[in-house]
Amino acid sequence: MQAFADFYDGETATRHPVHVTLGPDRMALLIRGDTLPQPLRWPLADLRALHDQSDRRQLVLTRHVEFRDETARDPARLVVDDPDFMAWLRATRPALDARDVPRGTGRRVALWIAGALAAVGLMLFVILPALADTLARAIPEAREAAFGRSVVAQMERVLGAERMGGLDCEAPAGRAALDRMAARLTGAADLDTQVTLRVLDHEMVNAFAAPGGQVVILRGLLDEAGSPETVAAVLAHELGHVARRDPTRAALRTAGSVGLLGLVFGDFAGGAAMLLVAERLIDARYSQDAEEAADLYAHELLARADIPPAALAQMFERFRELDGDTRGAFAHLMSHPRLGDRIAAARAATPEGFAGRPVLSPAEWRALQDICG
Amino acid sequence: MTAPVTPTDPAPGADTAAPRYTGEGGALFGLALRTAVLTLLTLGIYRFWAKTRIRRYIWSSVQLDGTRFEYTGTGLEKFLGFLVAVVILAIYLGLVQLLLAFLGLSLFVTPESPGAALAQGVAFSLTGLAVLPLVFFAQYRARRYKCGRTRWRGIRFGMEKAAWGYALRALLYYGLALLTLGLLWPLATWRLSRYMIDRTWFGDARFTLGGRWTGLYPAMTHILVPVALLVGGTAFAILSERPALAAILPPVAAIWLVIGVVHYRVQSFAYLTRHTTLGGTVGFDARPRTGTVIRKYVGGSILIALAIGVVGGLLTSFFGVLFGGLMQMAEAGRPDGAAGAMAFVLPMLAALFGYLAILLFSGAAAYALIVQPILAHYTETLAVSDVAALQDIRQRAADRGADAEGFADALDLGGAI
Repeated sequence: MQAFADFYDGETATRHPVHVTLGPDRMALLIRGDTLPQPLRWPLADLRALHDQSDRRQLVLTRHVEFRDETARDPARLVVDDPDFMAWLRATRPALDARDVPRGTGRRVALWIAGALAAVGLMLFVILPALADTLARAIPEAREAAFGRSVVAQMERVLGAERMGGLDCEAPAGRAALDRMAARLTGAADLDTQVTLRVLDHEMVNAFAAPGGQVVILRGLLDEAGSPETVAAVLAHELGHVARRDPTRAALRTAGSVGLLGLVFGDFAGGAAMLLVAERLIDARYSQDAEEAADLYAHELLARADIPPAALAQMFERFRELDGDTRGAFAHLMSHPRLGDRIAAARAATPEGFAGRPVLSPAEWRALQDICG
Repeated sequence: MTAPVTPTDPAPGADTAAPRYTGEGGALFGLALRTAVLTLLTLGIYRFWAKTRIRRYIWSSVQLDGTRFEYTGTGLEKFLGFLVAVVILAIYLGLVQLLLAFLGLSLFVTPESPGAALAQGVAFSLTGLAVLPLVFFAQYRARRYKCGRTRWRGIRFGMEKAAWGYALRALLYYGLALLTLGLLWPLATWRLSRYMIDRTWFGDARFTLGGRWTGLYPAMTHILVPVALLVGGTAFAILSERPALAAILPPVAAIWLVIGVVHYRVQSFAYLTRHTTLGGTVGFDARPRTGTVIRKYVGGSILIALAIGVVGGLLTSFFGVLFGGLMQMAEAGRPDGAAGAMAFVLPMLAALFGYLAILLFSGAAAYALIVQPILAHYTETLAVSDVAALQDIRQRAADRGADAEGFADALDLGGAI
């Protein structure tokens, strides 16, 4: 086997026309050229070809040597374009395409992956939440309320309001009943935030708290609640979020973690989807904690306001009838804990022989249910 | 192995070599598509290997004086570099984002007035500013890494370590260009290019940039003319009360301006290349044509859009018929049966699959139909004089390349190649 080829010695950019033959021991290639000071011997076992090359009619050969740079290859190159010689090499040298990885690479990769995961995890789960908690307390109250108003405005648009305030329910008698209910609860609570309470005309059975004491009840909740005590229980739960500044903390934490996760997933196809799922998972972890804490806050507040905490359980039972509980792996993706646990907790928080006072008179309750006209 | 040495116009003679580009569309498309699928299957981790393999192919497609270029970077070192960058950036960016969100909230929250909205915009663009020095730093490091992993005739290219110096100057010069409404943009282009070119080596020979920054103004013609036309023309139209003229000027000027920006990029590259020398004797000549670059870009884009339209249409109608049948089966049988569930889940899966397929296909097609043809044009309009001087150039030491452009990857500054 023999061929003419080009040789570059890896020391200068000079081209050496060479003649390549198989050595007498059939163990190595002998490279001879007029411009080479002496013939070179490249053991067959060390021969490697460059990958992903554009020209299939030539083979760029090099040698596997101990690692002096990024490639683990001799900087010298032997460029062969003799078809027979290339075919012979391909047929007899399976190691030609071997990828030689330095020893200890696996360990190095594992260490760096662990380090990167630890740094990202530390940021996502320790530093950003802690900072968000601290900073949430430092935001001026007026600013927080203004931010909350813009969040609610966003929500109104999502619910289909054609103009701002277009979904507001303001029937005077219903409003008076609602204010009475709210006063009973805020009187028993020691909130340092001014609470703004609104009812929006939408059939969704839900209520939410936005930053700065903005609490919104959707009409569907009033329709399905069954009793004023149940509505009061939901309100107490949302006041729990207000007292703990959950919405503001979540907004700050999300700002940090989305910026960080965007970095990790990059811009490959589907990267944005990965980011959303990851943020959802992290968010679910925090909001489940927040929901539990808000439930606990509601239990205490309701008891102080002479309303049985078990009223919260009635609301959750109604939710369960409407939607069904989430079970298994899917529950991790949900922002709220499982309803069964929350119902049991609300029941357990009501002392035996608890004597409550009615929240609203039957007439007031009717007025509240008709607040949207 | 004799090389076709084609003489070209600038300095006719046996000593001038014109590089050739020999990459094939089909081969690059196949490679890009295979690596994109692997990237998707590995949730993005393979993207470092994908980029490395595509670079190997493209580098080896450029042939100068009979020898192909070689890219020696590895996917592994890029992956490790990315991890290093993530550790540093995660901490920096996470903190900066959160603090800026806090500042944004506590200083100027609700855009209840136009002034407040403006202030809020400023607060959000601060995020960009906080990252900007890092962006320039990463750009220089990425260029240094690519140089350090490029070889020709076994000899390494390389760049000196000067990324922070570059970031500082880039902030200064681009800031100056911004303050002068773009009038000093050529100054920024030339000074920053010189900073990089003068620190670039091939073996033991150094590149140097000559010329003057004012030499870039001719390349800026098609930016300055449409702007002047827009300002002057609109003033004239308003003063002479010609509403038709005032209406037609902005779109015309906008299209002209876009072409002008491309023209500046192409021709400033050409000017800088023509004024670059290697080792004092080796010269370069570049004559890329703006029209050709735009034609290849637009032509490639139209081809890809057509292909997606045809294939997407066929798939949609095929699945439409299939799922229509399923729906009917579902309605005929019990509504909550297995067919019912399939009738809803399968179309969603098909839509997701179709979306991903189109994403992967168009990415790979862009390499083959846009990136590569434009690169081929740049390569084939280039000429190197005094190539004989190259053979005395000696090897340089390997660059460890620390983060292997990990910062650029983490900040998504990659670009096509």
